[in-house]
Amino acid sequence: MNTDELVRKLAHELEPAAPLPRAAMRASAWFAGAALYIAALAIGMGFVNGYPDGVDVRFWAVQVAAIVTSLLASAAAFASVIPGLSDRWRPLAVVAAALWLVTLVATSTADTDWSAVSSATHEWWCVGFIVVGGAPLLVVLARMLRRGAPLNPATTAAFAALSVAALANVGACISLPHANNAITLAWHGGVIALATVAAAACGPLLFFWRLAPKPTKG
Amino acid sequence: MTTSDSPLDTLGDLMRAAQQGDGVAYARLLRTITPRIRQVVRRQRGFVGEAEVEDLVQEVLLSVHAVRSTYDPSRPFEPWLTAILRNRLVDGARRYGRIARREVKVDDLDVTFSELEAKEESADLSDAAALREAVRALPEQQRKAIELLKLKELSLKEAAQVSGTSIGALKVATHRAMATLRMSLGKRRE
Repeated sequence: MNTDELVRKLAHELEPAAPLPRAAMRASAWFAGAALYIAALAIGMGFVNGYPDGVDVRFWAVQVAAIVTSLLASAAAFASVIPGLSDRWRPLAVVAAALWLVTLVATSTADTDWSAVSSATHEWWCVGFIVVGGAPLLVVLARMLRRGAPLNPATTAAFAALSVAALANVGACISLPHANNAITLAWHGGVIALATVAAAACGPLLFFWRLAPKPTKG
Repeated sequence: MTTSDSPLDTLGDLMRAAQQGDGVAYARLLRTITPRIRQVVRRQRGFVGEAEVEDLVQEVLLSVHAVRSTYDPSRPFEPWLTAILRNRLVDGARRYGRIARREVKVDDLDVTFSELEAKEESADLSDAAALREAVRALPEQQRKAIELLKLKELSLKEAAQVSGTSIGALKVATHRAMATLRMSLGKRRE
């Protein structure tokens, strides 16, 4: 097959393709919709245990860190599908995730009630909220990301999963608040880490080059 | 200031027009970038044949086409194209590696007449897998010389340009490589 022939075919069959909005814009749009969905879900589920006495400023500090992580991770995911774009969002997202982890660890250490972690069987509800509640968000995000270039599928998928899981985690925390952050660290943190690693592994199945067939002679 | 008839002076402008559906601008853009892509592919994948080079070039063009909406007209075109090109070359190299590990080329295997009765040196070389292994075991410079002169069948002048070495050095490397190959294939037969 001749390259000139391919060029002619591509030019002849060309259809308009409006440039995608900037990565930050797309991330903001997705995040706004996702935040509304999670808020509605959390309110719809109701506050399962009511607000315990231990919920204070530390609780909200952890939630703010998770929200910032989610926003920056989504920006990193959107930027990763734009060829030639600086990857400054990636370190920012990683730093935000690290700060979130530090906040969780610091507040967990203050709680020191680690014995409650293994016996907190009601945490499966939170796991369900993050996984099931986050699934539609991940589907929407993956569809938006597939409009870009699959330059680094594992990275794109990992940041997408981190963004979704971090935000769904906030919904779960608000819907079922824990006075003990050690539980949040172990259960929520574990689910988010697993989701991120699993997404990175499945990235090439989600994001791959979908090329038009080459013209054949004949 | 340019006196060109067309206001589309840069690759970025051509791509912007293509995003709006201008097929003529798109054809011009693709024809402009194709030789550049081919040059990079040849430089990076000097060990593959011309057909594979062209295959990679076409794959890059199809990739550019598939994600043309990701080009932001307010940004330079070159980094955008380079990122796609680099990504497709890495993918191509992975694929090439996978194929090379799995497959044994059988182009030279005889169907009608056995090569075993022919020249003894040719008999040694008919074992494609053993030959490939022996070539792989050669020192870098000798392997490059064999790939360029014997496998790609470039002239000494072309091979010297591609490898960045002198013709004399290429001749020496080829001579030594052939001697090493004869020896290693000979041992294998024994």
